[in-house]
Amino acid sequence: MPEPFLSIQYVRKSFGATTVVQDFNLDVEAGEFISFLGPSGCGKTTVLRMVAGFEEPSGGRIVIGGKDVTGLKPNQRNIGMVFQAYALFPNLTVAQNIGFGLKVAGVARAEIDSRVAEMLDIIKLPAGEFGARYPYQLSGGQQQRVALARALAPRPKVLLLDEPLSALDAKVRVSLREEIRSIQKKLGITTIFVTHDQEEALSISDRIVVMYGGKAEQVGTAFEIYNRPATRFVAGFVGTLNVLEGRLGNAGKVQVGSGEIALREEPAGGRSGDTVSLALRPEAIALGRRDGDDAVLPGEIADVHFLGSVIRVRVRAGDSIVSLDTFNNPATPPPRIGDKVEISFSSGDVMLLN
Amino acid sequence: MKINRFWSWLFFGVGALYFVLPLISTAEFSLKMRRGAYTLDAYWTVLADPRFQQTFTYSVLMALATIAFGVLLVVPTAYWVRLKLPRWRPVLEFITLLPLIIPPIVIVFGYIRLYNTSSWLPLTGSAMGTNLLLMFGYVILSLPYMYRAVDTGLRAIDVATLTEAAQSLGAGWVTILTRVILPNVAVAVLSGAFITFAIVIGEFVMAALLNRPSFGPYMQLLGANRAYEPAALAVIAFAITWGCMALIQFVSKFAPRAPGAQH
Repeated sequence: MPEPFLSIQYVRKSFGATTVVQDFNLDVEAGEFISFLGPSGCGKTTVLRMVAGFEEPSGGRIVIGGKDVTGLKPNQRNIGMVFQAYALFPNLTVAQNIGFGLKVAGVARAEIDSRVAEMLDIIKLPAGEFGARYPYQLSGGQQQRVALARALAPRPKVLLLDEPLSALDAKVRVSLREEIRSIQKKLGITTIFVTHDQEEALSISDRIVVMYGGKAEQVGTAFEIYNRPATRFVAGFVGTLNVLEGRLGNAGKVQVGSGEIALREEPAGGRSGDTVSLALRPEAIALGRRDGDDAVLPGEIADVHFLGSVIRVRVRAGDSIVSLDTFNNPATPPPRIGDKVEISFSSGDVMLLN
Repeated sequence: MKINRFWSWLFFGVGALYFVLPLISTAEFSLKMRRGAYTLDAYWTVLADPRFQQTFTYSVLMALATIAFGVLLVVPTAYWVRLKLPRWRPVLEFITLLPLIIPPIVIVFGYIRLYNTSSWLPLTGSAMGTNLLLMFGYVILSLPYMYRAVDTGLRAIDVATLTEAAQSLGAGWVTILTRVILPNVAVAVLSGAFITFAIVIGEFVMAALLNRPSFGPYMQLLGANRAYEPAALAVIAFAITWGCMALIQFVSKFAPRAPGAQH
């Protein structure tokens, strides 16, 4: 196991009697792209601000590159930060904004000019056209690119991105997130990205920290988080999830409505007669009997949404409503509400929620 | 609709006359020094008076010192309160409003009692000490205007985020104040500075009671002894004030635009 480049150890933060982050631990390798994902108020931005030095931890320590930075001021940490509101200096041009950190560090003029040109090239804003513009003369996406260049220009040890795409429209958001990821890979900079948008986190991160109630609920790759959620919260927060309530029988069998599912593994500590919650992703369920599926439940069509290439069908199975997607087939009309159907899935795809 | 317009114009006209008529009368009177002709004689007499030049120069220097000290006091205070002590803003607003409630004569008598020659800090014992005292008094008088101007300027920018952005780029407090905050509130500071200038140029009570050779007491002295020159002086004083107002309007065009104001 290599030595982590950034290590957040047992970090806590309280505001008065309210604890917003509790015993948060995370080791980040050099060059890794980590996303903090969670709903508003989960403490993700507070952790980021503690790494930046804007908030003082109530306990624990933060180590960057082997050096304990917990007591250092923000301007002594050599950390680049990009804010949701861009935070470009309105009185400075694009070039002056990007060169600000270098000027503060006392870098020679010629070197600043060359680095600014290099950064403008990286963010794909031609220096001749954009260097002399003021922030108000740029679009939101361009401003955030400049903010990224400004944060990267002094070659920080760690790059922190605090919901940098939230203020942008959907199309720009997608293109800019890909650009951020590509620049991060190119420069190999250790990055923490805070977002409440799961698609953003899933699409660009090496690892994701799903946070809830000031704690890290799960740390893992996008694949692990999506397919093997560790807690009920993670399962519900990341992606769409169908939850089937059932009653545990013998030998790992669960009664759901009038159907029965045989679990591959018996739930630890579960007793016959206990109520259990089973979770399934919509893409794991098929309408009708699918070859290879070992679990079949009877149901009734409760709702149908035609979405173009995909049809989202909601099926009532016992006391639960199950949502599933089928591809549109022009030769087959979509099911109608009230139709009696069967749904099938593999018992291996069933997640037992704690 | 037409009736509304009529009444609007009527009220506007009455208001305008209320303000403009005395000014026109004063200006007209100031031009009548020579019998039977409109001349600028009263203005030339005033401008040629060595006491005018001395007192005006003194007041201009006092105004500049007041502005410099006021900016150094108000900008960091307003910035710090906005950034770190937002709950204290109402308290600060109240304190800065006090000079409008407490008459200058009370303030200056307080100064004289506190800083007289037998006190622990005998500022009134020397001309320089009294000048300093007068400047502090002027800073207090201009505080409501300077503070509000700067606070309004700070409200127009995202102080907290800009500060954090600058900090993350390695800037310390002095750099943040001088390179980020001050340039972005420069127009607001200038507005406060011009109002301060206008206040100091015309101030009478403090300068008279501290016995300093400033422009206010000179205007009073001239008004008590001459006929046409005081009117000319009043017009000059108005011109200076309006000049300051025009400069506020002019410099406000150069304010850094917030990035939100895109095209």
